[in-house]
Amino acid sequence: MTVESPAELTVRAPERAPAAPPAAEDPAGGAAIVTRGLTKRFRGGQVAVDGLDLTVPAGSVFGFLGPNGSGKTTTIRMLLGLVAPTGGTHELLGLPLARALPAVGAVVEGPAFYPYLSGSANLLRFDAANPAASGRDAARRVGRALERVGLSAAAGKRYRAYSLGMRQRLAIAAALLTPRRLLVLDEPTNGLDPQGTREVRALVKEIAGDGTTVFVSSHLLAEVEQMCTHAGIMSHGRLVAHGTLTELHAGRSARLRVETPDLAHAAGILASLGLADVRAAGEEVTAELGEHAPDRVNAELVRQGVAVRGLAVARPSLEEVFVGLTGEGFDVDG
Amino acid sequence: MRTGKLVRWGVPVAAAAVIGAAVAAGPVIAAVGSDPVLPERTASQLLADAAAAAERQSGIQPMSGTVTKTASLGLPALPGADAAGGDSPLALLTGAHEVKVWYGSGERFRLALPGEMSEKNLIVNGGQAWLWDSASNTATRLKIDLGPQAKHTPPTPQPTDMTPQQVAEKVLADAEQHSTVSVTNTDQVAGRAVYQVSLAPKDPSTLVKEIKVALDGETYVPLRVQIYAKDSAEPAFEVGFTQLSFAPPAEENFTFTPPAGVTVKDQTITGAELAKTDRMDDMPALKTVGQGWSTVAVVPFELPSDAQAKQAVDSFLKGATPVSGTWGSGRLIKTKLLTALLTDDGRVLVGAVTPDKLTELAGSR
Amino acid sequence: MSTAEALVLPATRTSVTWRLLRSELALTFRRPRNLVMMAILAAVPIIIGVVIRLVGSEGDAGGMIAQTAGNSLMLTVVSLFVLVPLLMPVAVAVVAGDAIAGEAGTGTLRYLLTAPAGRGRLLAVKYLNAVLFGLALTLTVATAALLTGLVLFPAGDVTLLSGTTISLGEGLLRVLAMVGYVAAGMAALAAVAVALSTFTEVAIGAIAATVVLIIVTQVLRAIPQLDWLAPYLLPTRWTGFDGLLRDPVPMSEIWQSLLAFGAYIVLFCSLAWARFTGKDITS
Repeated sequence: MTVESPAELTVRAPERAPAAPPAAEDPAGGAAIVTRGLTKRFRGGQVAVDGLDLTVPAGSVFGFLGPNGSGKTTTIRMLLGLVAPTGGTHELLGLPLARALPAVGAVVEGPAFYPYLSGSANLLRFDAANPAASGRDAARRVGRALERVGLSAAAGKRYRAYSLGMRQRLAIAAALLTPRRLLVLDEPTNGLDPQGTREVRALVKEIAGDGTTVFVSSHLLAEVEQMCTHAGIMSHGRLVAHGTLTELHAGRSARLRVETPDLAHAAGILASLGLADVRAAGEEVTAELGEHAPDRVNAELVRQGVAVRGLAVARPSLEEVFVGLTGEGFDVDG
Repeated sequence: MRTGKLVRWGVPVAAAAVIGAAVAAGPVIAAVGSDPVLPERTASQLLADAAAAAERQSGIQPMSGTVTKTASLGLPALPGADAAGGDSPLALLTGAHEVKVWYGSGERFRLALPGEMSEKNLIVNGGQAWLWDSASNTATRLKIDLGPQAKHTPPTPQPTDMTPQQVAEKVLADAEQHSTVSVTNTDQVAGRAVYQVSLAPKDPSTLVKEIKVALDGETYVPLRVQIYAKDSAEPAFEVGFTQLSFAPPAEENFTFTPPAGVTVKDQTITGAELAKTDRMDDMPALKTVGQGWSTVAVVPFELPSDAQAKQAVDSFLKGATPVSGTWGSGRLIKTKLLTALLTDDGRVLVGAVTPDKLTELAGSR
Repeated sequence: MSTAEALVLPATRTSVTWRLLRSELALTFRRPRNLVMMAILAAVPIIIGVVIRLVGSEGDAGGMIAQTAGNSLMLTVVSLFVLVPLLMPVAVAVVAGDAIAGEAGTGTLRYLLTAPAGRGRLLAVKYLNAVLFGLALTLTVATAALLTGLVLFPAGDVTLLSGTTISLGEGLLRVLAMVGYVAAGMAALAAVAVALSTFTEVAIGAIAATVVLIIVTQVLRAIPQLDWLAPYLLPTRWTGFDGLLRDPVPMSEIWQSLLAFGAYIVLFCSLAWARFTGKDITS
């Protein structure tokens, strides 16, 4: 791993301290995660991640999107130092991994805890493994983390008796034990019911609201679209696109959809206004909106006596973006 | 991020190398380190020195140490050797055995035979002796009525009418009739520099390649005897000190008070009894044939009538090779060092000779 | 960053390791399975004591039994002698073999490492934990045996294997030394088990491999033709604590055994380190 310039960092800690989340701006130009040519070739010769160049801006909610088996989890394991890359470099928060990790919370491939321990005992266990956390106020930290995910009432219950949603929330609580600058969440809503999914999404938004960078992997396009400011799309171990959601959408323009019985009339007006790709079918006319303002288009239609029953602007979904980029369908069931 | 693969695996490899070197080469390093300590001696000079030293100090000088005996005679697993326990005569034929010895000044010594969670002790203090066996919780008071001949003398000849040099030359002349004698001064036994006297038989029909006797470089006390069989780099039989100190042992070693609650027995051994067992007078008509290294003992033999013993002998003879010749027929057992022939006409021939030589000697009655 | 102020001052390296070790010990000594093993092993001296009390008084008993019936301290020695060749090593193997493989199996290993516990530190703490479990187990057995002995048999001077008699106080000191010796032997085994534990993600596999190794070495030891190998095998060394019952105590042999334990510890801990620090955690 390369270290850009750790000397510039201000660390509010004694010199011996292994790591503390530095409060100063990181020197990597505000990037929470940077990878350069990150590659993992497994012993069998199979390439799981192939030359990944990824930049996750600090403060963003980054959706790491891709079907199952596209190399998302292997990438996350490399980022967290669980798996050694066979090529390339990466850094978190502009720091060497060992110093960055205390400032990174992670949920990797679902929750894993000691079944015979209670929720709070489990959190104390992982808190003890963090060299940047002091034992003195561990209980307070654990209590706060449990409260944050709404598990205070179940703190004394054995993990064995937890429901899937509670387990997932406990894993997030473990990731939130100490203040984090980066949160890595691998499929955080996997296996949750709609209620649990909503809770997790709300939690992610709240965490992001505090200024924490959130890196969330998912195979659910809708989820990423709802939660994220940025996204990267993985396919067969390669990053096929990444940027802000707006940037990703930019390639495909939004379409205007007009519901009306006067198909021919409406189509003629839209064409005369200069909208491209005008199509009429059934009871609606669609066209590429381009730079036109939908309200102006509507006013013109009404002025010329078209009976407008409905008018909508359809942004292209990430799925369409994905299909456009890879020419493949997206496995939504996962 | 992580230490290189080579560096990482280099650590256990280096650890293994250091441990391996310490285990295997420890004695070698010690030997190399103190190589030229002893002045060179020819065989006759050495024997003369030893005889002179033996004259100077009567009896064995105070010392303590561990004597280990290793035998790898290449015998098949002896039936009953395990069951009979670590100190049975059968078990002594195979494997390694350890005896701890303490010699004090005067007629005092202690022998301890340590077993797993047990110990046998022989403590001799002048005319008083105790035999202690922790396994049976028994202390036996031995009354030894020593005859003058049973004194502890070092195994070197002491005829007073000859000078040490003369003794040495005579002994050497006898030895060189059958063997090549050589001396080395570079070995170590139990951390002490020794002279190693080697006797290599000239007779081609013996199984013995070489006998080595190590004499302490300072006191000339024999510290080790090794017998090498032909075609074998490791000694087939070895007895010697593995640990040795010439510091006088603590007095407590030579006193024994039976602990409370143990069985105390009394037994008297007279000098005559000791002498008798030494000479094996009760051995039936032992005679020898052949000469020098090819000397073979001939003993009349009868299969035991006791069923259990018979079975043991039978199972032992299962591995024997049937042989026959003009002398008759029999069964042959060969080990690295000894060959035994059990003839069908009721004789046992045992010698450190090749099977061919043994069957040849079987013909000469 | 607003949350950074809430961060507590990080502690020193030693106190960080000590905290992780305390957490590890709490896990080990709260785990029902481990407590049951300790209880079973502690029951063995009680059973032996009661049996000797019932049988041993019938006159013609052998040396060790008669000595046990005659002195309360000897029950500790006999109990260790019975448990050290197999049962205690198995219990230690269960805890030490579980060390890394158990965490990998439940998936908690990935969370410990991202916490981040640090691979070297986690391994050291896991090994120390197994060593302390071995020590606690030996102490538990010895204490159970001492108490049972004091209740069932007379206390007084102790007869050593060499036939020498020592005072009860010195006897107690020697028992304490035996506990230390046995714990060192178990520490050597723990190193082997922890090393095996880094090669698998199935705890039972590492435990079973260690137990099989113990049994195989016990068998090898019983073959007379392999006598030359015996001094290098752990089980040969384990029962060497009987040297502390001899007079004089064969110190050179005891040091040799402790050196052998040390060699095992160095070799297998370095193997475990080499494997674990380079391992891809995919569980």
